[in-house]
Amino acid sequence: MASFAKELELDSALTLSQAAVGCDFQIRRVDGPECRQLREIGFCEEMRVRKITNGRNMLCTVCGTRLAVSKHLADQIKVVPA
Amino acid sequence: MSEANSPARIALVGNPNAGKTTLFNALTGQNQKVGNYAGATVARKSGTFFTPHGNQIELIDLPGCYSLEPNSPDEKITRDFLAGDQEGENPPDLVVCVLDSTHLERHLYLLLQVIDLGYPVVATLNKIDAAEGRGLRLDPVALSEDFGVPFVPLSATQQRGLTQLKHALRFPLPAPPGRLWKGPGDLEDAIAKSIEHAESQKHPKPTARGLLDATQAGAETADFIQKTRFDFIRHAVEAGLQRPDEDSLALTDRIDAYALHPVKGWGIFVALMLTVFWSIFKFAEIPMGWIEGGQETLQCWVRGLLGEGDFQSLVIDGMIAGVGGVLVFLPQIILLFFFISLLESSGYMARAAYLMDGLMNKAGLSGKSFLPLLSGYACAIPGVMATRTIPNAKERLATILILPWTSCTARLPVYTLIVPLIFTSAFTQGLALFGIYALGTLTALVAARLLKPRLGKTNAPQFLLELPPYQSPQWRHVLHQVADRALAFVKKAGTIILGLSIILWFLETYPKSDSDDPVVQQAESFNGRLGKIMEPVVSPLGWDDRMGTAMMASFAAREVFRSSLAISYATDEEDGEELRDRLSASARPDGSPLFTPLVGLSVIVFFIYALQCLPTTVVVRRETGSWKWALGQLFGMTLFAYLAALLVYQVGKLLGYS
Repeated sequence: MASFAKELELDSALTLSQAAVGCDFQIRRVDGPECRQLREIGFCEEMRVRKITNGRNMLCTVCGTRLAVSKHLADQIKVVPA
Repeated sequence: MSEANSPARIALVGNPNAGKTTLFNALTGQNQKVGNYAGATVARKSGTFFTPHGNQIELIDLPGCYSLEPNSPDEKITRDFLAGDQEGENPPDLVVCVLDSTHLERHLYLLLQVIDLGYPVVATLNKIDAAEGRGLRLDPVALSEDFGVPFVPLSATQQRGLTQLKHALRFPLPAPPGRLWKGPGDLEDAIAKSIEHAESQKHPKPTARGLLDATQAGAETADFIQKTRFDFIRHAVEAGLQRPDEDSLALTDRIDAYALHPVKGWGIFVALMLTVFWSIFKFAEIPMGWIEGGQETLQCWVRGLLGEGDFQSLVIDGMIAGVGGVLVFLPQIILLFFFISLLESSGYMARAAYLMDGLMNKAGLSGKSFLPLLSGYACAIPGVMATRTIPNAKERLATILILPWTSCTARLPVYTLIVPLIFTSAFTQGLALFGIYALGTLTALVAARLLKPRLGKTNAPQFLLELPPYQSPQWRHVLHQVADRALAFVKKAGTIILGLSIILWFLETYPKSDSDDPVVQQAESFNGRLGKIMEPVVSPLGWDDRMGTAMMASFAAREVFRSSLAISYATDEEDGEELRDRLSASARPDGSPLFTPLVGLSVIVFFIYALQCLPTTVVVRRETGSWKWALGQLFGMTLFAYLAALLVYQVGKLLGYS
């Protein structure tokens, strides 16, 4: 049941590139070819992320660090509102 | 320790921009390059220091990396060093993990990986002053309990906590805490077997090699381990770190709102660059006047001291004119390096890379290529080495191949000699210099665009970059950096340029002709004869034979172009007159002026594009592993430079310019 709820939550999760600017989110899953690289730089599950700008390369803060990430990579990060 | 009497070897490891090199400099008293952006260190460096107990330590600074799964060549250096895979290198006795206290959660992953390799570790909580300023509360005792290694709070820039760190490195060195997580049975078996295998192979660090072999067996295992490590870190920081709410708009956010804006950001970038180039002309005038004045005084003094003859001519027209002609650009080079160091130290470089990503992408590169290209404005060699931070191999090769087209400081003496012959005010001269740099860069990007598909198929480069907070420049370091560069320039003028000036003077003076006419003497000399051979090649560019020989000489070092002109044009007019005046007064045999704006432009275009630097070719060979690329680049760029200068002069003439 718990895993079903988790799947349901993931289905309703947004990608970081879809998420609204100026809001705080929690990372639910990092999934894709570059997922390990993303985790290493700070985009790992359960971390809080704030999106600052949209665009081809978007700006975010994770744990107080500013990171610039391309749209292709941001699509591999699933978030839910924090 | 590695051997009975040798110093203990300690490696500095940490994420990019954690402050490893600042700590390295603070401990060893060295002055290695520090930058407030990822990738300032791309090779291993070492130095020594003593602990309070008098034990000598060899400290090794390694390139920054986010993890020990390398994404780029510089990160691989660190991984190989710790895994004991680097030939001729013993693994370190202890690892100091440099953690940025302001971004602790992200930096603990690498610490955990290093602990897993079986090393004794001391963790440093660097930038503790900045963390305290932001209201972060760190508990080193709780962190030490969780990770099983000592945590030392310190600030490398303010030299705080260094004694405590040296005390933590006392002998005997602490025991390795060992791996802090356990995997399922089959994974543990695989790790044990792998370590046993590495031991049987007599690998210098079997625990490290064995773990890396077993854990990188498949994507599923690697994902499992990565998640397990992050779970451990999440649990550890709950007790060891309290972060205040981050709703307040920090200074960095306020500056970035302008600096990274798609329109205002570009405005700021262009304004900054224009200011740099304008300052190079404006502020350098006064000290350049002093150097020129000093040179003239020295020439007059030597003339009085030595009797007339060849030796006097060698000292005055060869040595003093040749070296002085290059040394006069010292103030401009100091200014350029000062501004580059200032931008690197403040944190603006990463913003420039972010802004440039769009433009770089059109050339098939990413913003990551911009930082090496920017280093290329100072000197192509560190620029080529900085490409090690580019993860994509094809993108890295393309960046190396186009990099010499970002104008390095050796070209500056040529530009600043010629530009004032075309433009008169400091503002238009600054604008022209900006245009020269922009032309080189834009051509480099177009070349990358054409070149990259020919290097083979590759994925589109992805942009992922940390933007460090702005900080006030480390003045001590900036001044050291500028002084180092200035000294290197003076040394080059006093050695290579002096030697070449003597050779050039010899070629200009011998063999002696019977005539007293300096023009006949010049034509009879070795240089004059060489010039006559070169003339058919360079006359389509609008150049005369003396410029042809100067261009040939500049393949030894670009700055020699100016020395060579200073020596060969000295025969036209009285000594003491400025070279620029002598050039503008010189005439062709038919009496028409030689150095017209169009000829000046043709010279500038040649120097923008020609690769006249053999050390760069050697470094390109080393970094690409092939003479094919290095020599192809050398000949390709020289040919392109010739054709571009030819096009400029011939089209200009057709359009009616002189």
